[in-house]
Amino acid sequence: MARNPLKDQVAIVGIGSTPYSRDLGRSELSLALEAAVAAIRDAGITPREIDGICGTGMTPLAMGGAGFLSLQGALGIEACTWGKNGWLGSALVFTVEAVFSGLCDMALLVQANVRGASMSRAAARDPFRARAARYADVGGDVGLGDFAKRWIHSGEPYAAIMRRYMHDFGVGKEAFAMMAVNCRNQGAANPDAVLRHPLTLDDYHASRMIWDPMQIADMDVPCDCAEALVITTAERARDMDVKPVYVHAMSLGGTRIGEYYENFGGWRDNSFQVAHRGLWERSELALPDIDLFYPYDGYTMDAVAVTEAAGYCGIGEATDLYRSSWDAGRGLLMLDGRVPVMTGGGGLSHGRAGGANLYAEAARQLRGDMGERQVAGAGAALVSIGSFFHDPSAVVLRA
Amino acid sequence: MTLADDDDAVFAHFHDVHIDRDNIAHYRGLMRSRLLINRCSDCGHWIYPHRPLCPECLSMNAVPTEVSGLGRLYMWTLIHQSRDPDKPLAEPILAAAIELVEQPGLRYLSRVVGCPPEALRHDMPVSLTWIEEAGRRWPVFVPLKAE
Repeated sequence: MARNPLKDQVAIVGIGSTPYSRDLGRSELSLALEAAVAAIRDAGITPREIDGICGTGMTPLAMGGAGFLSLQGALGIEACTWGKNGWLGSALVFTVEAVFSGLCDMALLVQANVRGASMSRAAARDPFRARAARYADVGGDVGLGDFAKRWIHSGEPYAAIMRRYMHDFGVGKEAFAMMAVNCRNQGAANPDAVLRHPLTLDDYHASRMIWDPMQIADMDVPCDCAEALVITTAERARDMDVKPVYVHAMSLGGTRIGEYYENFGGWRDNSFQVAHRGLWERSELALPDIDLFYPYDGYTMDAVAVTEAAGYCGIGEATDLYRSSWDAGRGLLMLDGRVPVMTGGGGLSHGRAGGANLYAEAARQLRGDMGERQVAGAGAALVSIGSFFHDPSAVVLRA
Repeated sequence: MTLADDDDAVFAHFHDVHIDRDNIAHYRGLMRSRLLINRCSDCGHWIYPHRPLCPECLSMNAVPTEVSGLGRLYMWTLIHQSRDPDKPLAEPILAAAIELVEQPGLRYLSRVVGCPPEALRHDMPVSLTWIEEAGRRWPVFVPLKAE
């Protein structure tokens, strides 16, 4: 076992979400602020109590978006002893480590996402989105003029990896299709989800081809949204009015591939695998203790690889696992016959939030106040967000 | 600031590429139809992308070195939809990661020409050639005919 001194020492005590929509007609900062205020109110605190902020992005001085400096200024928070930006799964991990280390006691985590100009042809025609893309801290013109750089921070290699997966393990697209249908059916029960109309396995296979063999039904749905969490020490959480959700164990994961995706290191040497090995070396809870599973679904290939990395099956065996876990009547995956996958619909249905909606959904389920959508008796969740290459997290949350 | 004699020419030729100190030799090579990849002159390890440090022996003696141009098709995707809504694709673009024979895992993102997409196979042998596009020459690969 690796050291895990932070076990159950840090808790999520506030959750705030905006509506999800293809076009909210608002700035990224505006969405971020709405989620932040909702999370602050949910926690029952005032902005004065916040002393650390994790904003959205990759670069510390990102301007005009939802970075930590912009958030602090816009929220009028007087003094922060910690600040950082984060993305995908890493954002929550950064925030928890800051609280655990003592650099701050009451942290605000805000992740805003908008339908970017590079994600959608309609978005590319929107002058506000086009201008934002030119100055965004991640993205912009992928690859520039050299074809050999085209895959830096690009989704296209995921399509090639998907084909390689099918080749290496002798499978078709069944696992990808079942994940897509599962998430749509989970999202159909979520009134906030962007895509709620039914998706069948046949619909999946007939969906528009984007990067062969990847189809549009394999890709999360670009939208405007934001999520925020308030995170504090377990000790302080006990004096608050909300039910805390504890961070039991967590890990990031990185490999030597860096940002050049064509150098994909294979099925054992990727970030999902590293992150989950790191997690299980630290967690006292194991898969049989997990009641809810949130495998990041930026692409269905991600969710399949996360399922395997988590240990629900061996590498390359997700197709057989999903077949044996498939509730055909409801069109849902139930791992080991009991663990629902991606309640809320994830990125494929609820909307593309860089995985922040997975953290929020898991925390709400573990609080136990989800009403009709509540999974009875949910005590622990595995949330795994990120990419084969960057910012993957594997986190066990518990009630 | 120190500049090699023809650095200005490389910047001008690749006006839309992020040229830096670590990759300019590669682009100078492309201008002369030579595919150069950094190689550690101490241990012989090939280093790609264009980084100045050898990850095997931590030597900074990375020397741009011409590769044989032989490789295998590791993975590929056919791009059906362009990002720019005003520039729809007349036909799909093939993006292919070519594993070069010089070293396992040494891959270069390129295109495969002279082969219909349905005839592509994982790990098929390919070899380097060059195409002309808008006044610039770029490395691409063609299937290697069985002898």
